[in-house]
Amino acid sequence: MIFAQNAIDAVSLGAVYALAALGIGLIFSVMRLINFAHGELIMAGGFTLYGLVAQPLLVVILAVLIVTAVLALGMERIAFRPLRKANPATLLISSFAVSYLVQHIVLMIFGSRAMGVPFLPELGTSVEFLGLRVPRLQIVTIITTLVLMAGLVAFFRFSRIGLQMRAAAEDFTMARAVGVRANRVIAFAFAISGILASMVSFYLVAQTGSVSYKMGVNMVLIAFVSSVIGGMGSVAGAALGGFLVGIISVSLQAYLPADLRPYRDAFVFMIFVLFLFWRPDGLLMSRADRDRV
Amino acid sequence: MLKVVDLNVAYGSIAAVRGVSFDIAQGEIVAVIGPNGAGKSSLLLAIAGLIKPRSGSIEFAGKNIASKQAEILVSEGVSLVPEGRHIFGSLTVAENLALGATVRRDWPGIASDIERVLAMFPVLKERYRQRANKLSGGEQQMLAIGRAMLARPRLLLLDEPSLGLAPLVVNQVYQAILDLRQSGVTVLVVEQNVSRALAAADRTHVLSFGAIAMSGKSTELAGTAAFDAAYFGVSREAGRA
Amino acid sequence: MSDPVFRPLHTAAILIGILLAVVLVATQVAPAMQRTVIEALVKLIVVVGLYIFVGNSGVFSFGHVAFMAIGGYMSAILTLSPERKHTLLALPAALEALQLPWPVAVPIVIVAVGLIALLIGWPLCRLRGIALPMATFALLVITYVIASNWQQVTGGRQALVGLPRFTGLWVAFGGAVIAIVVAALYAMTRHCLMLRCSRESEVAAAATGIDLERERLIAFVLSAMVAALGGVLFSHFIGTITANSFYLDLTFVTLTMLVAGGMRSLTGACLGVAVIAFVAEVFRAIERGVSLGDVTIAAPPGLQEIALAVILLAILILRPEGLLGSYEIGLPRRHAADRRVAAKQEG
Repeated sequence: MIFAQNAIDAVSLGAVYALAALGIGLIFSVMRLINFAHGELIMAGGFTLYGLVAQPLLVVILAVLIVTAVLALGMERIAFRPLRKANPATLLISSFAVSYLVQHIVLMIFGSRAMGVPFLPELGTSVEFLGLRVPRLQIVTIITTLVLMAGLVAFFRFSRIGLQMRAAAEDFTMARAVGVRANRVIAFAFAISGILASMVSFYLVAQTGSVSYKMGVNMVLIAFVSSVIGGMGSVAGAALGGFLVGIISVSLQAYLPADLRPYRDAFVFMIFVLFLFWRPDGLLMSRADRDRV
Repeated sequence: MLKVVDLNVAYGSIAAVRGVSFDIAQGEIVAVIGPNGAGKSSLLLAIAGLIKPRSGSIEFAGKNIASKQAEILVSEGVSLVPEGRHIFGSLTVAENLALGATVRRDWPGIASDIERVLAMFPVLKERYRQRANKLSGGEQQMLAIGRAMLARPRLLLLDEPSLGLAPLVVNQVYQAILDLRQSGVTVLVVEQNVSRALAAADRTHVLSFGAIAMSGKSTELAGTAAFDAAYFGVSREAGRA
Repeated sequence: MSDPVFRPLHTAAILIGILLAVVLVATQVAPAMQRTVIEALVKLIVVVGLYIFVGNSGVFSFGHVAFMAIGGYMSAILTLSPERKHTLLALPAALEALQLPWPVAVPIVIVAVGLIALLIGWPLCRLRGIALPMATFALLVITYVIASNWQQVTGGRQALVGLPRFTGLWVAFGGAVIAIVVAALYAMTRHCLMLRCSRESEVAAAATGIDLERERLIAFVLSAMVAALGGVLFSHFIGTITANSFYLDLTFVTLTMLVAGGMRSLTGACLGVAVIAFVAEVFRAIERGVSLGDVTIAAPPGLQEIALAVILLAILILRPEGLLGSYEIGLPRRHAADRRVAAKQEG
C-alpha cells in the first residue's frame, strides 16, 4: 500500500512538474530561450494570491491568471524581444537577469520573510479511496493537469494559432516565410506559459501555505531538468519529463536512507547529469536543436 | 512588377550581393543562374524580406518593400519557396498546405485552392493526412510549391527547385511552374541547373560573385562563349545588366 | 618582448600596474572604503577565473561558484582551530586536529580543487552544445545542496565562524596578481589558441584536429583553481562561510561582471568588475541615504541588485559583446603590420 501511496504522490508531483516543464519548453520551442524567469511568474502568482486571499475564489483565480500572463507578456516585450536574434547563451543569461530583477523588486516591496497564505485549506484533508488516504489537493492537481494538457493538445492540434506555433517551433524562419507573425506566436507562447505558471503557483501555495520571494527558484530548476529530460518543445515531452522527475523525486524521498534524504535534490541533479550523457537531446527528440553540419 | 535597383546584401564584412539591378514584368518567368556562392539565395532572401539589405531598393507593384518583414510581404503577394524545401516535417501535408494560407481569411477560397493544388499534384492528395517528413524529395518540393501557392502570390520566388531531385521529378516541378505562369503568377527562379532554367525562363540573368555578369533572353544566351565566361567567372569584372 | 606572442603579458603588466595604483591609494582611505576595494579584488579573482574558461572557450559555465565554495570550505577546515571544529563540525580526528597556517593551507586547497576539477571536468567536457553549460549548472546546484546539508563537514545551514581573516589589502592584491598572471600565461600557450579556434564552431575545430575535450578541460581546471582562490580569499575576508553565499545570486553577479566588461577579453573582465563594483558602491551609498539637514533621503534596500539586473539587460540588448568586446589593453604596437592584424582580430 505504501507503494500505491507513493505512486499517487509521484503522479501528482509529476503533474505539477509537467506543468512547469511545459511552461519552459513552450518558450524554448519558439524562441530557443530557456526562461529562468518562469520561476518568477510562479512567484508573482503566489504573491497575487497573498494579496487577494480574502476575495472570492473565482476573482482570485482570475486575478492570478491575468497577473502572470501580463507579467509574462511584459518580460517578452521588454527584455526578450530586443534579444530575439541573440545566441542561446545570451538569451539564457538575460532570463537569469530578468529573474534576479523580479525577485529583488518583490524583495524590496514585501521583504524577505515567507508569508502565510491560507489558500484552499479545505484541500488539505484526505479522501479514503481503496484503502488509501489521498489528499484532496493531489486529486485536484492531477485532474486539473490532465484537463489542462488535453486542452493544450487540442489547442495546438485544432486551432489556427496553435498550428502556427507548431510550425514556428519546428522552423521559425520558414514559418515567417509563409506569413506567420513572429510577434503574435511568441506572445501567445508567453501568455500560455504565464497561465501554466499560475497553475503551478496555485498548487505551491495550497500545498505549502506560504509565499516568499524565492519560491519560484526551486520549481524552475526542476522544471528545467524535466523539460530537458523529456525533450523541450512538445507537450508530450514536457509531460513525460515532468512525470519522470516526479517519480524519481518521490522514489528517492521514499527509498533513500534517512540520512541521505536531505540530499534528494542533489541526486536528482546527478541523475540529470548522467542523463545528459545518455540522451543530450531529451527522450522525445524534438527536431534538430543541435548544430546541423 | 518587381524592380530591384542597386541591391547590396552583406553578412558582416562579406558582400553576397553587390549592386544588383533588374526588373521583372508581370507574368514573366525570370531565372537567375550562377554557381554556388554566387549570391543567388541571398538575393531571394532579401527580396522575400528574410534578410535586410545593406542598401538599394526593391519595388514590388509600385511599393517599396526593401525594409519590410517577410511575414508582411506574404500578405502583399510575395511568396518564397526556399532552398531545401523547408516543409514542416512534423506536420501533415494537410497542415503544411493550410499554413500556406496563413495570411488569408477567405475559407471557401482557401478550400478551393487546396483542391486545385491537390489536382495539380495528385501525390499530395494520396498522402494528404501523412506527415510531411515521410514524403520523398520530389513530393516535398511539390508540397513546398503547393504551400506557396496557397498564399495566392503575385510573385513566386523559387530557390533551386530542382536541387537533389531526379530528372523526371524535375520535369514535373517545372511543368508546375509553367502552369503557374498560366494562372498569372510572376516567377523568379534561382537555379544552378542551367539548362532547365534557360528552357523555362523568358529572360535569364547570370550572377557571378554577387553581381550580374550577363543578361538576356534565354534563347540568346545558351551556348555562347561569353555566357560560359560569365557563369564561371572567368573574368572577375562583372558586366552591366 | 615585442613579439606579438607576449602581448598577453603586456596586458597583464598594465592591469597589474593599474591595480597596484588602486591599492596604494586604498591604503590611505577609510577602512570602509578599503573593505570595498578588497571585496572588489576578490571578485576580480573569481571573474578572471571565469574568463579563463568562458572567455576562451565561448561556453558558459555556472560552476565557478561551486569551486569557490569547495575551496572556501576546504580552507576553512584546514585553518580553523581544533576547538571550533569540534564544536561546529564532526570531522575525523586527524582532520579535526589539523590546523595549518594559511600560506600552507591555501596552496594545498588550490591543488586539491584542481584535482577535483580534473575529475569532474573530464566527463563533463565531453558534452557538446548546450549540455555542457547545463551540466555546470547542475554542478552548482549539487554543490549547494551538499554544502547546505552536510552538517559534519560544512556545518550545513549554519555558518562556520571564526575563520582567520587574513585577506587584507595586499593579500587580495596578491591573489589578483596571481589570477591575472595565470590568465596571461595561459593565453600565451598553444592550448589557449586552439581553444579560441573552437569558440566559433565546435565542428570546424574538430575537423582541424583540435582535441576539443582536452583543451576545454585544461581551461576548466585552471578556471576552477583560480575561482577557488577567490573563494578562499572571500571566506577569509568575511571570516565566516555559509553555503547560501555560493549559489545563484553570486553566480549572477560574477557573470554580470564578465559580460558587462566584455566576455572575450581579460581587460574586459577586469573592467567589468570595476564598473559593477563602482555601481554597487554608488547604490549602497544611495541606500544609506543622503542627509539634508535633519532629513535623510534613502532608497529602499534592494535597489542595488535591481540596478545590477537592469544594467546587465541593457548591456545585453545594446552592446552584447560588452564594453570592451575583445579589446585587450597593451603597449602601443610598434609595427604597422601588427596594428593591421590587431584591427582585424578585434573588428
